[in-house]
Amino acid sequence: MKQVVVPGELLSEERKKLGPNVYVLNGKIYAKVLGITNTESEIAEVVALKGMYIPKRDDTIVGIVNRVVFAGYGVDVNSFADSFIPKKAMRTDLKLGDVIIAKVEDVNELKEADLSFPRKMGDGEVIKITAVRSPRLIGKNGSMLDVLTNGTNCEIFIGKNGRVWARDGNINLLKKAVHFIDENSYKSNLTNAVEELLKEKK
Amino acid sequence: MKQETMIDYKKDKKRIDGRKMDESRPLKIEVGVIPNANGSAYLEWGQNKVYAAVYGPREALPKHSADPLKTVIKVEYRMTSFSVPQRKRPGPNRRDQEISKVLGEALTKAVFVEQFPNTEIGVYVEVIDSNAGSRVACLTAASCALADAGIPMRDLVSAIGVGKAFGELVVDLDKAEEDAPDAVDIPIGILPNSEEIVLLQLDGLLTDKEWEIVSKLGINACKKVYEVQKEALKRKFDLSEAMEKKDSKNVSKENISKENIDKKNVEKKEVKSVKKKVKK
Amino acid sequence: MRSTILESDIQKVVSLARDGKRLDNRQLDEMREIKIETGMSENAEGSTIVTLGNTKVIAGLKIEIGTPYPDNQDEGSISIGAENLPLAHPDYESGRPDDDEVEVARVVDRAIRESKAIDFKSLCIIKGEKVWVGYLDFYALNGDGNMFDAGSIAALVTFNNAKMPKLDAENRIIMHEYDGKLKLSRKPLLTTFVKVGGKILLDPTYLEEKAAEARFSVGTTEDGFISAMQKGVGGSFNKEEVSYMIDLAFKNSDKIRKQILKI
Repeated sequence: MKQVVVPGELLSEERKKLGPNVYVLNGKIYAKVLGITNTESEIAEVVALKGMYIPKRDDTIVGIVNRVVFAGYGVDVNSFADSFIPKKAMRTDLKLGDVIIAKVEDVNELKEADLSFPRKMGDGEVIKITAVRSPRLIGKNGSMLDVLTNGTNCEIFIGKNGRVWARDGNINLLKKAVHFIDENSYKSNLTNAVEELLKEKK
Repeated sequence: MKQETMIDYKKDKKRIDGRKMDESRPLKIEVGVIPNANGSAYLEWGQNKVYAAVYGPREALPKHSADPLKTVIKVEYRMTSFSVPQRKRPGPNRRDQEISKVLGEALTKAVFVEQFPNTEIGVYVEVIDSNAGSRVACLTAASCALADAGIPMRDLVSAIGVGKAFGELVVDLDKAEEDAPDAVDIPIGILPNSEEIVLLQLDGLLTDKEWEIVSKLGINACKKVYEVQKEALKRKFDLSEAMEKKDSKNVSKENISKENIDKKNVEKKEVKSVKKKVKK
Repeated sequence: MRSTILESDIQKVVSLARDGKRLDNRQLDEMREIKIETGMSENAEGSTIVTLGNTKVIAGLKIEIGTPYPDNQDEGSISIGAENLPLAHPDYESGRPDDDEVEVARVVDRAIRESKAIDFKSLCIIKGEKVWVGYLDFYALNGDGNMFDAGSIAALVTFNNAKMPKLDAENRIIMHEYDGKLKLSRKPLLTTFVKVGGKILLDPTYLEEKAAEARFSVGTTEDGFISAMQKGVGGSFNKEEVSYMIDLAFKNSDKIRKQILKI
């Protein structure tokens, strides 16, 4: 059964495989964050409902150039520290406000992200979502992303860091849908509801 | 106010405001009330009303305050000038400073601070009305705001004031009781699951036997506070409310409005009953 | 100093304004929605929470006994303070009131004081000895721009609902007892504009304030008086722009007065 838990709530008194957002004390497993757990799952884990983006290796992120200096660019990645891209890593020059996508190559002990394969995105819009809920925009096997793309005709790129870049198509409708998913991320049957929403507003 | 001499706590077995000895004042919590914050809570406890907001983890400022091994939890406890009977001068006084310090230390034990080295988590609590017990109200609200911010924690922190007034050991002292000639005021905060004590202060004179009794009263009362905290945090996420195809329009509208959940539920019930009537 | 605002967002606000548009889809002369709650602080002689879009402000009033100024022996007084609590925005800092906080408090104060809405002579208890002093402080609970108008609305509603403390035979305050209400003969309100991308915007958000070349606030009364003006930030306005803003301020504040005071 799916269940909302608060930090410190007991998840299991038995040994279980440990997933994210849990901790063990005296042989018992507890939740670490406010989130959702499945009591029947063989893995003890909590899917966080709130929280900012914490860079993880191999994440793809949407960054915004926030500082231009001689050697390179300070990039806001919607986390607690900016990332830095050296000028030589880019084929084209970047200016303030440019949107890039990049992969998190490494995360240092201070949780700062080293970015690789930065790519400058053209004119488009950045839409925000609660960072921990951004996987919902992709859905199982990309099902939600398909619904969003088909329903809005937008070119969409989803960053793990709570940012969506999009262009063309019906951007305002996409904004509504992203906001809707943000507000209802924890509910079941969400993909169908989003489909309905996109049909209605079309 | 004038009644206080007329009630005999020992004989009448009730308190100035009619409460039982181990009864606390009504407690209400709502989370997610400050849109700019990463996490927030509003709490009403009797006449006490407080807001709590959490910002972070974020870059620690000034830079020398950063700890390369863990996040620093910076609590600022403040009272608005009009939250007390005699106007409080703006700006922090020594009491505010001390309370901020002990609240920060209490929360540090609850948070997995080593997960965010070199950062700070700013926790701001503001009292807008008060009547004894504002620090435990703030600690209770602050721990809800931390959880609402998605911060990894060992447990919530639940707190209450216990102590002694008019010869009796009591839970959740109000101002009239704090002013009793024999008053003892003990703010206590615990991690409710392990019952570890993370906040403990005492003002007044108490025997060790009385402490034995009153500390138990305190821990039991904290556990009741914990139930209210849990409910407040979970209320926002009603899993039973699955997205039904037919209702998707209504649900979306309701969820987008940031109305008070309580009100919303009441309204929803009203709407439902109205619908039924229409059908009839 | 923290700044959580991205330079690119400011650029976006400017280019939108040039086309007569705003990020939140408002008209340039459109105010955000206002909500009012009162009486949340029992210890205060009056208290109000104002929500102006995403900006949320709480004001509270304490009325105490003070001594009159030597040159105004038979007059009480008011004092207004403002604080951008760090609780309300990631860029706000604690500590002594900074220039912005002092300015907003003084402009809100002037709009009320200079309108003569409060008769300071009526606040005299004993000439030369005891007078009433009203301390109104307002605090940001969530900051999204235009603390001027949010503070001004909060101050007006708070003064308008304020209870006067009761005095005993020796002219000492009896705690938690009251004796009538504070009298307000006028209902002054501030209206604030910014100039962004050469256009005049009513009721700026935080981002619009950051993008502003210039800012203008005007205090107006329901009976056609201007009680305060304040131009801020580095840029400038021409005379036509000022006339336009004053005219719009009278119209807009009339609407707000109807809503918040039901007059």
